Amino acid sequence: MEEGAAQNPAEEAIIFLRSRICNPSFLFTPFSNSPDTNYSKLKFIISNSITGACNNSILLLGPRGCGKTAVLDLVLRDLNAEYTDMILVVRLNGLLHSDDISALKEIARQLCLENQLLFSKMASFDDNSQFMTDMLRECGLAHKTIIFVLDEFDLFTQGKQRLLYSLLDAMQSLTSQAVVIGVSCRLDADQLLEKRVRSRFSHRKLLFVPPSTEDLQRLLEHTLYLPTDSTFPHDYAIEFNAKLHKILNDQRFKEILHSLSDVDTSVCHLSKFLFQVICSIDLKYGFLSLDNFKTASLGIQRQPKLESLLGASILELYLLVCMNRLELREQSSYNFNTLMKEYKSIHDSYQTSDNYAQNVCLLAFEHLLERELIGFTDSRAQSIEYRPVKLLISPYELHQGLKVNRSCPPILRKLFDHESFQ
Amino acid sequence: MAAASTPKKLKPSSPNPKPYSPSIPPTPALRRSTRLTSSVDDLQTPQKPAPDPIQPIRGIERTPDSTKNGKTPAQGSKNSAADRPFSPVSPDIAEKRKRKRNEAKLRSPNWSSPGSKSANLVHKNKKKRESKKRVYYKKVVFDGGGFEAGDDVYVKRREDASSDEEDPEVEECWICFKSGKALMIECDDCLGGFHLKCVRPSLKEVPEGDWVCEFCDARRKGKRVELRAPPNGKKRRRTLRDKLLSSDLWAAHIESLWKDPDGIYWFKGRWYLIPEETSVGRQPHNLRRELYRTNDFDDIEMESVLRHCYVMNPKEFSKANNEGDDVFLCEYEYDVHRHSFKRLADIDNEEHGGEDGSDEDWDSTQDPDSDSEGDIEYEEESRTGLLTGQSAIGKSLCHKLAANSRKGRVFGLQRIGTKKIPEHVRCHKKTELEKAKTTLLLAILPKSLPCRNREMEEIAAFVKGAISDDRCLGRCLYIHGVPGTGKTMSVLAVMRYLRSEVDAGSIRPFSFVEINGLKLASPENIYRVVYESLTGHRVGWKKALHLLNERFSDGNRVGKDENRPCVLLIDELDLLVTRNQSVLYNILDWPNKPHSKLIVLGIANTMDLPEKLLPRISSRLGIQRLCFGPYNYQQLQEIILTRLTGINVFDKQAIEFASRKVAAISGDARRALEICRRAAELADYRSKQSAESTMASSDVYDSSAEKHFVGMADVEAAIKEMFQAPHIQVMKNCSKLGKIMLVALVHELYKTGMGETTFEKLANTVSCLCKSNGEVCPGWDTLLKVGCKLGECRIILCEEGSRHRMQKLQLNFPSDDVAFALKDCPQLPWLAKYL
Repeated sequence: MEEGAAQNPAEEAIIFLRSRICNPSFLFTPFSNSPDTNYSKLKFIISNSITGACNNSILLLGPRGCGKTAVLDLVLRDLNAEYTDMILVVRLNGLLHSDDISALKEIARQLCLENQLLFSKMASFDDNSQFMTDMLRECGLAHKTIIFVLDEFDLFTQGKQRLLYSLLDAMQSLTSQAVVIGVSCRLDADQLLEKRVRSRFSHRKLLFVPPSTEDLQRLLEHTLYLPTDSTFPHDYAIEFNAKLHKILNDQRFKEILHSLSDVDTSVCHLSKFLFQVICSIDLKYGFLSLDNFKTASLGIQRQPKLESLLGASILELYLLVCMNRLELREQSSYNFNTLMKEYKSIHDSYQTSDNYAQNVCLLAFEHLLERELIGFTDSRAQSIEYRPVKLLISPYELHQGLKVNRSCPPILRKLFDHESFQ
Repeated sequence: MAAASTPKKLKPSSPNPKPYSPSIPPTPALRRSTRLTSSVDDLQTPQKPAPDPIQPIRGIERTPDSTKNGKTPAQGSKNSAADRPFSPVSPDIAEKRKRKRNEAKLRSPNWSSPGSKSANLVHKNKKKRESKKRVYYKKVVFDGGGFEAGDDVYVKRREDASSDEEDPEVEECWICFKSGKALMIECDDCLGGFHLKCVRPSLKEVPEGDWVCEFCDARRKGKRVELRAPPNGKKRRRTLRDKLLSSDLWAAHIESLWKDPDGIYWFKGRWYLIPEETSVGRQPHNLRRELYRTNDFDDIEMESVLRHCYVMNPKEFSKANNEGDDVFLCEYEYDVHRHSFKRLADIDNEEHGGEDGSDEDWDSTQDPDSDSEGDIEYEEESRTGLLTGQSAIGKSLCHKLAANSRKGRVFGLQRIGTKKIPEHVRCHKKTELEKAKTTLLLAILPKSLPCRNREMEEIAAFVKGAISDDRCLGRCLYIHGVPGTGKTMSVLAVMRYLRSEVDAGSIRPFSFVEINGLKLASPENIYRVVYESLTGHRVGWKKALHLLNERFSDGNRVGKDENRPCVLLIDELDLLVTRNQSVLYNILDWPNKPHSKLIVLGIANTMDLPEKLLPRISSRLGIQRLCFGPYNYQQLQEIILTRLTGINVFDKQAIEFASRKVAAISGDARRALEICRRAAELADYRSKQSAESTMASSDVYDSSAEKHFVGMADVEAAIKEMFQAPHIQVMKNCSKLGKIMLVALVHELYKTGMGETTFEKLANTVSCLCKSNGEVCPGWDTLLKVGCKLGECRIILCEEGSRHRMQKLQLNFPSDDVAFALKDCPQLPWLAKYL
């Protein structure tokens, strides 16, 4: 603490704000109070299943970054405090455990770990599924609810869905007590279930949508205002908050926020933005400024393709323009050799100074491939020269790129304009 | 084993310290406690004949009538009766001892003659596990002896009915060998009973504190004691070791201990066998004190435990020269099913991975307990043992087997249940709504199963006919129907009914095997599972197939049990279809064999599964079929109403609405129940929220009936949640660019009439739309990102973003939905133009 007091308060504030932004459960606490939120609904369902000894299955749906997992974690944390020792959480991720055998093994492993039992990697599918049913029974006897959290739920629906079937079928018996929570960003996740699995599913659905503009504003205030009653020097916190208040009410700031939320309104996106803002605070100044928000908004709305065009060499630009010419002539399929022919013809007709040998051109061509400005249209293994390629950027983007690229020879720009806008 | 001096272990050479006088004519004076009568009558639990000599037992004043113990037996039993508070505390030891005294007097001298074990196996009755909770202990102090998992104990065999009648209710004096009304005193050491006047010096009244009889006293001083020879017609009692070795007693290894909700202590025991009881009988190489460990487990009541015995491995046994009378040697494990022997050391090596002598672990834990000196100390020790037991679980399991492997499963798992159950949470009185929710649970089996009577009768008739028919040929029943129409439930209900008929003796016994196709790792595994559930042996599936083939096709049966007809229920039959369909063929072919006595009930969803199979299979499967049609709305309504009888929270019309809705869509009873449960949940949520808010605002708890009623609105909300895709909600809430993009997609669709479009075209349309409506034109990269985000939610279907310009996109929902969602968007009113 002494060390912290000796530090610049701004530095401390940055650390404090960063830790806030990186903590999803903090970001979602303002949404947990009112009765209409997903938090209280989810908590009601789960706590009811715990106290009422009933089984439930819930789907949490919604676009990414809207706090499905964060709210779930918040709920589980609070329930854990409320009902100590009555909850056992088993977490699976569809990306890791989508096949039934490994998923069951993982369930067994986590159950063993929680109960300090010895786990054997060698156990077969049958053993593990038997173990799971037994554990469900024993935990039911001990009034313990097992909560299965299936992240990326949609990926569990591949194949025969044995895992889901055995989980949901085990829940059809009185002795076991479990809650299955599927988390998915696919809105049609429940339609992916097989008939007999779907019939056993409880079909509780909670939809997570991105917050509205007012909520975003609330969230910003909740996150960025420094608490005045903490370790920060009181004056500093007051000044910080006053400056922040001014910024938040600034019209220019609102524009920035709008341009941000035009693209993506999710909380996750906003927190990424805020993180960049915090990181760009000038330590000497010590407070947030509008410039911080501006730079961060530029940083988060980048145009990768324009940027890579910006750094492209002259030869690469030539190649791109040639490809564009070919495509304009509605040549549906072409490869490196046709491209070279076009390049030669341009060179012959305009007598440019940029004449390179074929092997140099091939290098540039490969470079473009790596940056995915162009791409092969098929996946057959041939030598590069003969594989058909396609331009991956649009003429519009290429036009923009030629405009911003300083090293672009004017002849090329003229050529492009001439070709595309005649 | 340095515990030669422990009182527990008697020298084998020393005379038996408890020479109880045997059979005495029954006297009318009943000392049986009420608890015992009930438990004996109900469960036919054997009683305790011999008290444990370890624990010194306080002298108890005795009178021949029922109030002899100073306490009436009724009092004593009241404490120990079933209504003991249900929490894992160690039983009161002092109280137990009193009871034990009672039991000791009930001992029967006439043990059942060694006969077939199965006939006597009444106390091995595998009590059906109730749904009530058990409490597991690491150690139980029962009848004054501390028993813990891992100990070996003597277990009583059940007396014959005839011996029950001869039960001596009153103990006789050891000196005059008479009972009678005179006051008796009990020796604290050998537990023998003495008339006050018979002892030397004779006593006027029962002394305070301990009292030891003269024989024991003399023995303690190291003298040789000659017990009085009993008069003619009476026999000297044999030691427990004698009884065990003449198979009048059993020995078992305690695997785990628990208390049932009704207060009765049980343990899971692993039986020991004497060589005579094995299939080969006693061999010349068998030692006199040799036992075999079996792989036979049973749940045994603690009542039937006599006391500790000590089963050792050969190494320990060779060292244990003067350990006492109750020492046995065990070197082999005996498989009761396969009648085979296995050296224990090998098994332990297998299981423990090189760690030898598993018995040593137990013995070392056993020793400190056996060294107990004083009553109180011992009590405390055992209490702490109980308390620390929970934390010790993890440690004690460290050297155990992996819990998820097959071998480990038998042991460790039950200890999970040892946790003390927090009671308060579920104790609150349930409101009507909560009751409704509970009764609507899918897991709850309703008392009556309405609407499937015809089908159930058909199944019952089919199975009954097949069982009673001696040559049941080609007995396959194919049951089909959409999910949630009660197929499995009906079959299981029929099986329960038939089981009760078997118990009543009206039909022949049969074995029932239930298999779920989706729970098998592979279709071939079904052989293994069937074979294991029929015989208890675990073999590979190829071997199992061979053995099953032998059994069913060739009529090769070993035991008596195997002659029973077998009902095989295969749920989700379609999962067994392999490429060459051999699994299904084999299983469906067996019933056609003359001696198979196999009845197959197959359940699947599709109606035409037999037709999809090879003709040789469909000819076997498709003869008898039973269709479970989807429920219509009246049936669904009836199902819900029968569950809700007595609970008046549901609007009748709401139920009808729900059932009509489900009947129109799928006719799935599970769905209907879930909708109603969800509706009740919603109503409950609403009422609780409003209760909270009123509590907060006015501090008056307003429990008006209306709030606790499930109405139409709740059911509608539940249906909406269940059947409606949430995409409109998400479309309304997505970002501005996302909305523009969706509209552009619709626009493109209208323009071209093609559902599919490429990103290039779409981006051009978007920039057109933006330009003409004064919006800032977004970069293509941003657009691509937004498109991929929409694709993730499956609002649009799109290829991966790395295809950039050539990415193909398509709306996943009808364009009308987009129009509906975005028509009146306050943020972008101009969108309506394009919809």
